[in-house]
Amino acid sequence: MTAVRDRELPRQAVPGAPLLEVTDLRTYFSLDGATVRAVDGVSFRLEQGEALGIAGESGCGKTTTALSLVRLLPPNARIEEGSVRLYGIDLVEKSPNALRRYRWREISIVFQGAMNALNPVNTVGDQIAEPIIERLGLDRKAALQRAGELLELVGIPRKRADAFPHELSGGMRQRAMIAMALACDPAIVIGDEPTTALDVMVQAQILELLERLRRDLGLSLILITHDLSVIAETCDRVMVMYAGRVAEEGPVGEVFARPKHPYTQKLLAAFPNIHADRRTLEVIPGSPPDLRDPPPGCRFAPRCQFAMDVCRTDVPPEVTFGDGVRVACHLYPQGSDGVPITTPPDANGTPP
Amino acid sequence: MTATPGPVAGATRGRRSSGAGDFVRRFSRRREGMVGLAILTFFAILAAIPEVLVGPLQTAVTSIGPRLSPPIDGFPLGTDELGRDIVNLTVHGARISMTIGLLATVVTVAIGVLVGIVSGFVGGRIDAVLMRITDFFLVIPTFVLALILTPIIRDVVGSATTEVFGIRMTLIVIVVVIGITSWSSTARIIRSQTLSIKERAFVDRARVVGAGPGYIMRVHILPNVINLIVANAVLVFAGAVLTETTLSFVGLGDPFQPSWGQLLEAARSVGAPGLGAWWYFVPPGLGIILVVFAFTLFGSALDDLLNPRRGGRR
Amino acid sequence: MGGSFVARRLGQAAITIVAIILINFVLFRLMPGSPERVILRGTPNVTPERIEALRERWGLNDPVFPDQLVAYITSTLTGDLGYSFIARGQTVVDVLAQRIWPTILLFGLGEMVAIALGLALGAYSGWRRGGPIDYLGNSVSLILYSTPYFLLGMGFLLVFASSIKWLPTFGMLTAGRVYGSPFEFLADLGAHLVLPLATVSLGLVGQYAIVMRSSIIETLSEDYVNTARAMGLSEGRILRHHALPNALLPTVTLIAINLGYVIAGAITVEVVFNWPGLGTLTVQALTARDYPVLQGVFLLLSVAVVLANLVADLVYGVLDPRVRT
Repeated sequence: MTAVRDRELPRQAVPGAPLLEVTDLRTYFSLDGATVRAVDGVSFRLEQGEALGIAGESGCGKTTTALSLVRLLPPNARIEEGSVRLYGIDLVEKSPNALRRYRWREISIVFQGAMNALNPVNTVGDQIAEPIIERLGLDRKAALQRAGELLELVGIPRKRADAFPHELSGGMRQRAMIAMALACDPAIVIGDEPTTALDVMVQAQILELLERLRRDLGLSLILITHDLSVIAETCDRVMVMYAGRVAEEGPVGEVFARPKHPYTQKLLAAFPNIHADRRTLEVIPGSPPDLRDPPPGCRFAPRCQFAMDVCRTDVPPEVTFGDGVRVACHLYPQGSDGVPITTPPDANGTPP
Repeated sequence: MTATPGPVAGATRGRRSSGAGDFVRRFSRRREGMVGLAILTFFAILAAIPEVLVGPLQTAVTSIGPRLSPPIDGFPLGTDELGRDIVNLTVHGARISMTIGLLATVVTVAIGVLVGIVSGFVGGRIDAVLMRITDFFLVIPTFVLALILTPIIRDVVGSATTEVFGIRMTLIVIVVVIGITSWSSTARIIRSQTLSIKERAFVDRARVVGAGPGYIMRVHILPNVINLIVANAVLVFAGAVLTETTLSFVGLGDPFQPSWGQLLEAARSVGAPGLGAWWYFVPPGLGIILVVFAFTLFGSALDDLLNPRRGGRR
Repeated sequence: MGGSFVARRLGQAAITIVAIILINFVLFRLMPGSPERVILRGTPNVTPERIEALRERWGLNDPVFPDQLVAYITSTLTGDLGYSFIARGQTVVDVLAQRIWPTILLFGLGEMVAIALGLALGAYSGWRRGGPIDYLGNSVSLILYSTPYFLLGMGFLLVFASSIKWLPTFGMLTAGRVYGSPFEFLADLGAHLVLPLATVSLGLVGQYAIVMRSSIIETLSEDYVNTARAMGLSEGRILRHHALPNALLPTVTLIAINLGYVIAGAITVEVVFNWPGLGTLTVQALTARDYPVLQGVFLLLSVAVVLANLVADLVYGVLDPRVRT
């Protein structure tokens, strides 16, 4: 396995298109007759070999965003609008059957809590081999051979392929899950809180493994976590989500050093020391809005100490600055240099 | 996530007891539950006032109809081999079947709750012994045990003509036998709930201030399992009606107080199905099916709402 | 599977069987009339010597505990269950031996048909939850579940004995018929078997469908099924390779546990069709208060259920790697 893709691109791939480009994605849930706008206009891009971290409180839509990419959604959810372009191919347009061909082969997922994400009655070897047989068409012998290689790659002795999930430790199971995600040599691996259920020592080992795999295999990674320290260590760019929308997105160094969005600032302030303490995000007063009936303007406005009148009426546009940071906040108007306006422009909330 | 146990437990209790109105609203949204309740209401009315609806129970002496007649004028559902009106028999059968079912449920649930709470709360060796016995009753074919127990107990009690709640002694024996053979699943359910309540803070507090085990079980545990008891009792009722019917069908009923099962036994022994005399066994048969079906629907809807293990699931 | 698990389970089964014998002993002592009268009621020409011999053999002259109890357990374990009243003094063991085969035939086949149909229907309903088959299947299952078996049988009788006279509705073989070949015998037996078998299967199918449906629904919401979906496996493969193997596990235990209830149905269905098995024997014995036979039936059926549960647990241990270790 090498950093360069060693098999053909899908037939419909557009030459020169970015690896992944998500535009104005809206995923809604129907719940008791109401519509929950869980993801409401999210756009982002992922380049080959890049690692993007998606952060935010639980319920902010980060997992729904990621699962929408391969439409792995509960029956009461639907993608209302937007596009998900992989090599320029829009996956939202695909029929369920056509989409199935992109799952795992192009985009695979490392779920949290591998105890439940692995089938308890099959051996880990068989489970790693299954997508190889079913999706790549290798015979069982070759698939098991490759499963053994993958296990060794993630630091599990080959002979443990015969073990059942319950016979492995939590960390080992998570490693096996990662081996499984790599089985078809996918273009993108999504990690959905891959370290959450583990204790701190094991977390560090799993993160180290992910970093090594990125380095060695040139993996393109989307890492979903509420733990900012994980993103700081592992990712190139970070996207902070709030209530179904992107608050701020940009290079990890920039965003963590000079957070622009008031929500990002609060989020980072809640982490006094990124490496040691991972205390709560609940320090921010108030709670996220009800997504069945979200506030009309900026969704963070009710909890924001800088909120102006305009914030309560108008959705803030996303503005990208020279340092590559994209922010959706009325404090940073279009065409400004990324320095916040410190006083509200006027009582009516019209931008200057 | 770490949660402090005290406030969380308190909050849960607060939510549980948040008003009967809320419960009625949540229940009324469950269509199957409402259907079950409607059917039950119908049969409860039949059982409550049979004399008002169809007059006193007809006997071989008071019967006036032709023998084993299909539906004719005056006998909308025909007659049995003694010339009794099937409508009369079926409505009175509702009273007898449902009364026995109700009494048997009370006995079953009482034993089950007692065993469950004591076992869960006291724990240790008593728990181990009680659960062994419970498991034993879960495994063995209790119906066959009931089959032997009923005639033996009747022989022991003798042919006393005492009536309890208007039910003859022969049938009270059936009530008791159903009770002592079917309490085990109730005991299991109540025990596991007791175990989880025992861990809550308010029980510890009661223990610290010196409340005795009997007091804690009555005042703290029992009110907290009452929801579960209600939901379970409804399902036990369905089983009790079925057991009574089956016991009567194999000849352990009382011809002087014919339940639906007893009517079916009579219909079978005169060969009603083979003679094409559907009117004899279809009415009581439908009664049983509908009552058991309704209790099952009603019971599972209640169970979904009241059983904390399924709580809030839709 | 660990040897200790098997040993522990075997021990439990043995204790349960001893407890069943204990119950039988208590019932035996509870019965009105002297025990030897109960045992010898069906035997003709009972002489005082015979009674005395029996009292001696059963230890009835000894104290109840422990001597009589020990004697009772010993005689039960050596296959001495007393004499049947209705069978005019035959041993209970002989009577049971004659009647057990028709029951095994009827209920063995019935269980197989019901398990195959019920699990298939339940799995399909749960998989296509909310679909027309689920809606219909679930309603029918619930109604069948609420219907006493004998009522189903009476319904069949009504149709086939009074209107459409296609099939025999009485007994296991045509009385007095002489068979020219084994094939004729099997055809006659098969014709007699159809209606009771249909009754038993229909009676059981509802509960198996309900159990399997909820099991498959629970399994389909498991994370590993979601993983299988994420892998892009087809729905059919997810069902066959991930959902079904896991959903079948709990049904193994439930089928065994339900066996006790099935027996209640068994007794009544045999009565409706006059099937010459343990069910009709039980009702005959009940009518004649033939307690030795009733106790023999209770012992036999209880032991059968205990053993079935034991087998189910051992099978479960083989199927589920989490228990094996």
